[in-house]
Amino acid sequence: MPSLSSRRLVVLGVLVVAGTFARYAKAAPAGESKIAVIVSSHAHDAQAIDPGMLRNIYLKKIFVDPQGHAYIPVNLPPDSRLRQAFSRAAIGMSELRLQNYWNQQYFQGVSPPYVLGSEAAVVEFVAKTPGAIGYVKPCFVTADVHAVLLLTLPAASSLQPAGACPDRATH
Amino acid sequence: MSNPRRRYRHHADLLVWGLAAVLAWILPAGAAAADGSWQAQPYQLGQGLYFPQQSLRVGGYADIHFYSLDKHRAALSVEDLSLFLSRDIGTHWKLFSETELGDALVIDSQHATTKDANIDVERLYADYHTRSGITLRFGKFLTPVGQWNLVHADPLVWTVSRPLTTTGSFSRHASGAMLYGTVSLMHNDLDYWLFADDSKALAFTRSHNLAFTDYGASSTLRNDFQHAIGGQFLYHMLDDRLSLGASYVRYALKNPQQQYRLTGIDFGWSGRHVEFSGEGIWRTADSPQVPDEYGGYVQAVVPLPRHLYAVGRYERYRNSLPSQWVTLRTFGIDYRPESGLSLKLEYRDGNNNAALAPNGVLASIGVLF
Repeated sequence: MPSLSSRRLVVLGVLVVAGTFARYAKAAPAGESKIAVIVSSHAHDAQAIDPGMLRNIYLKKIFVDPQGHAYIPVNLPPDSRLRQAFSRAAIGMSELRLQNYWNQQYFQGVSPPYVLGSEAAVVEFVAKTPGAIGYVKPCFVTADVHAVLLLTLPAASSLQPAGACPDRATH
Repeated sequence: MSNPRRRYRHHADLLVWGLAAVLAWILPAGAAAADGSWQAQPYQLGQGLYFPQQSLRVGGYADIHFYSLDKHRAALSVEDLSLFLSRDIGTHWKLFSETELGDALVIDSQHATTKDANIDVERLYADYHTRSGITLRFGKFLTPVGQWNLVHADPLVWTVSRPLTTTGSFSRHASGAMLYGTVSLMHNDLDYWLFADDSKALAFTRSHNLAFTDYGASSTLRNDFQHAIGGQFLYHMLDDRLSLGASYVRYALKNPQQQYRLTGIDFGWSGRHVEFSGEGIWRTADSPQVPDEYGGYVQAVVPLPRHLYAVGRYERYRNSLPSQWVTLRTFGIDYRPESGLSLKLEYRDGNNNAALAPNGVLASIGVLF
């Protein structure tokens, strides 16, 4: 029954291809990569943060909010893909330009944001620290933090390596 | 400061001041060290060493210069050894100091000497972040005229030599109060600095305020403020790729005792294949007997492969004492293998420049640590 066998192979091939398309379409639809900018949910008066303000907080051009409360921006390690994407999306600078910027700021006594080792650490720190601001993938957002801004990344940006999100339900 | 006894006493005073400042910063911090929230960051060249429990950052920069100039003996100089200390106090206050050991060692073909060594408190100030976009600064700080003076460390600039425009007509340091920050204007950032200086009453340390600092400069003219009031605005556009600045200072110098007005402009443009920057100043004196002083430079930097950069600068400066035009052309190459490290080699020539910045070859190794 060679003809039947061939037909089965074709059907199997079509199913595999269709399944692959369906999987990718669900996992990474064009334009769906986002970064959540988070503050503590317990902040008394969480301010709305626009992209321009976020940029200046991370460049340490703004140190306190309009009420005089200090901002504490936190970063991920320099080799983090999320940090690199955030630097381009929120600050508009490559890591190299940013490095030059921080060298000049360092000479003027201004240090770059503190670095935390992982997105889970960022969530934990922001949840506990008044004035702290961080960024994580949306699937890391918990009830202890509040996403004040969602940054949409270009379709080509992929921030979702398999298993990168925690097991718990996303918000 | 030619009397050696006076000079040593001055250095001793500075050391006592410095030591007292360091102790005042560290001791209370050690006692209050309780917050384990921060993890110490791994050391990175150009970012200093951070002690999280003390909220203290220690760093600085060092550079060695070599110069071989017309009618001068070739020499090697340990030019700068600067120590930065910065400490956050609570969420609103920050202290910062820069103490510099200058000309620590000069070696030429005949001898090595430390006779020109000097210690100077370059900057010592407290910042208070009042509200969004407004910070108050008290103490001794860099005069906000142009961009070079605010970021002049060897590892951060593109040439060994410094343009005359950035030193010739104003004091590089001011002592008093400053208001500075960043505000949004038409969807772009506007940085501003407004300051008032009373160096006559407040300057407790000697400053390096020689008007012309280049090797081989024979001028001993100094630009020490007595009083000054002024400010600078810097407007950023095109995602920070273009910046346009303007500054104005009204001031009195100690010697020659005279009132001046200085107007400055500056720009920076950063493209993919080239970076341009420039500054210009115009200074007038209240007395008609003192001629105007003015000039400017334009500098281009082109990135090359393997962390190399080609640098060219053209400067014209009309000095008032003596009254003459000086032209300088500088061509160089800068090697920056990693952030915070810079090796430079340059050739300079010009017209009427023998007294202020003679022709020749200069080189340096600078590290921001």
